[in-house]
Amino acid sequence: MAEPVSLPRYAVRRLLLGLAQIVAVTTLVFALTEALPGDAAVVLAGDVPDPERIERIRQELGLDRPAPVRYADWLLGLLRGDLGSSLTAGRPVTGFLAEAGGPTVQLAAITLLLLVPLAVAVGVVAAIREGRLLDRALTSAGIGLYSVPEFALAVVLVALFALRLGWFPPTAVGVGPNLLAQPAVLVLPLLVLLARPICSISRLVRAGMIDALRSDYVRHAHRLGLSTRRVRMAHALPNAVAPAVQQLARTTDWLLSGVITVEAVFVVPGLGTALVSAVSARDIPVIQGLALVFAATTVAVNLIADLVVFRLAPRAGGAA
Amino acid sequence: MRSALRWGPGAVLLSVPLVVALAGPWLAGEPDPRGVPYGSGALLGTDFVGRDVGEQVLLGGRTVVVVALAATVLAYLAGTPLGVLTAMTGRRWLDELLMRPLDLLLAIPSLLLLILLAAVAPSGALTLIVIVAVVNVPEVARISRAAALEIAARPAMEAMRLQGESRWRRAAGYVGRSMLRTLLADLGVRVVGALYLVATASFLGVGVPPDASDWAVMVDRNRTGMFLQPWAVLVPALLVVTLSVGLNLLFDGVRRHREEAA
Repeated sequence: MAEPVSLPRYAVRRLLLGLAQIVAVTTLVFALTEALPGDAAVVLAGDVPDPERIERIRQELGLDRPAPVRYADWLLGLLRGDLGSSLTAGRPVTGFLAEAGGPTVQLAAITLLLLVPLAVAVGVVAAIREGRLLDRALTSAGIGLYSVPEFALAVVLVALFALRLGWFPPTAVGVGPNLLAQPAVLVLPLLVLLARPICSISRLVRAGMIDALRSDYVRHAHRLGLSTRRVRMAHALPNAVAPAVQQLARTTDWLLSGVITVEAVFVVPGLGTALVSAVSARDIPVIQGLALVFAATTVAVNLIADLVVFRLAPRAGGAA
Repeated sequence: MRSALRWGPGAVLLSVPLVVALAGPWLAGEPDPRGVPYGSGALLGTDFVGRDVGEQVLLGGRTVVVVALAATVLAYLAGTPLGVLTAMTGRRWLDELLMRPLDLLLAIPSLLLLILLAAVAPSGALTLIVIVAVVNVPEVARISRAAALEIAARPAMEAMRLQGESRWRRAAGYVGRSMLRTLLADLGVRVVGALYLVATASFLGVGVPPDASDWAVMVDRNRTGMFLQPWAVLVPALLVVTLSVGLNLLFDGVRRHREEAA
């Protein structure tokens, strides 16, 4: 550490890095979509590829212009809040994203709302029972489930709870974009989405809590005669969650791949489904828009987490 | 005795899918003529195009395991030299030039990167290996760089330099060897992560033919017939689950055993 960095200065620096990351991601995505074999004109031309027709569609869509010009155009549009139009559906990408975003945001928001209290609770309970049977059971289950692919977990849950027991519907088919209209539909997707992040975060909370419970200040608080409950919740816990905050940001990456898989398994019309179909249709403006949304979300969440950690422990954050 | 308890359950759990995956293709024998889709003729019934599910299960594990392992090895082969190079070069611009783009790459969600790369490349096992390796390179390079920086600052390095050992010998001979411990500790996370990515990508139909004999593809393709023939989905799914859980428990047991021994 050369010199102490103030929070505003650190925030500005991180913000600039974040912006650079987003621009880099969109450039990379654009370059990659350029390399995709075939373009939307070929897809639109249908089963009977007629070179003249393909050329006409290409001109109509502006695909005949050189790639750098189209990219610059797209960036300028972005500044005005215009992401272009879907090549296959002809609708503005922003409207498309807003519609597909609904179910995805609902899934992600509810997952995060449940994730934090559940993961902290599991971690704290395991830490308090350190070394006992409950701790060992929770820890082993956490390590085991840590990286089970969501699709495998999902179909096992569907087979058991939807087909065998009939408690929940097996897919979200027929529910429409507002998943909250039928909460039963959400139970299995949420279970699948929560499984991995709970494992990793509760593990960190447990480790942090065990360290905190052994620390001098907790011993001191005990000596002062504070109740065990108060020592644990008001003194040990806040120190235990700091490392978990950063891990929470890392799990957005997982949440995203989880969301893509879960949407595919449960047939949810969200952003993940949109991405898979946009890639197969070579719908570049939609792919670009989705990549922008995903990258911006990842960058924003990491930024917020870094700032929170900086606030909690200035030295650790400033060095990063 | 205690150490066996540490990694025993993981090893036992892992052995089932691993034996099926690696020995399966030899046991499968000649493919039978196709029957009716989702029929119940064979031991585990038939799949969406009428193939024997039991045989498909025997055939379908090898790609998952081999692709995940090969991708991990490739990620290390590319990422470690990069990390060591950036850590040992005295030139700051070279360090920045090589590491900054990787930092940016880390900002892209891995499955998004994988889907995009797979859309560009022809589908096949080799493509999937390369893509999963590419996705893992930034993290491997970062870990290698951090480990190499720490080792390069040791007095032993200074002594070797004064003895006139070449930069290459110092990098490969001393730093490389000393890093092995750190890299081995990280190996478990990498393999499990690669397995996750390979299976998830195959399930989404990324980089694999639609009728491939692959556990993840089987789960995806046979889902429509889950009411009629649940085994065609459940057996491969459970094998993927046990493979992943077993690997994790085994690696964690080994890690804790090493920590206790140290």
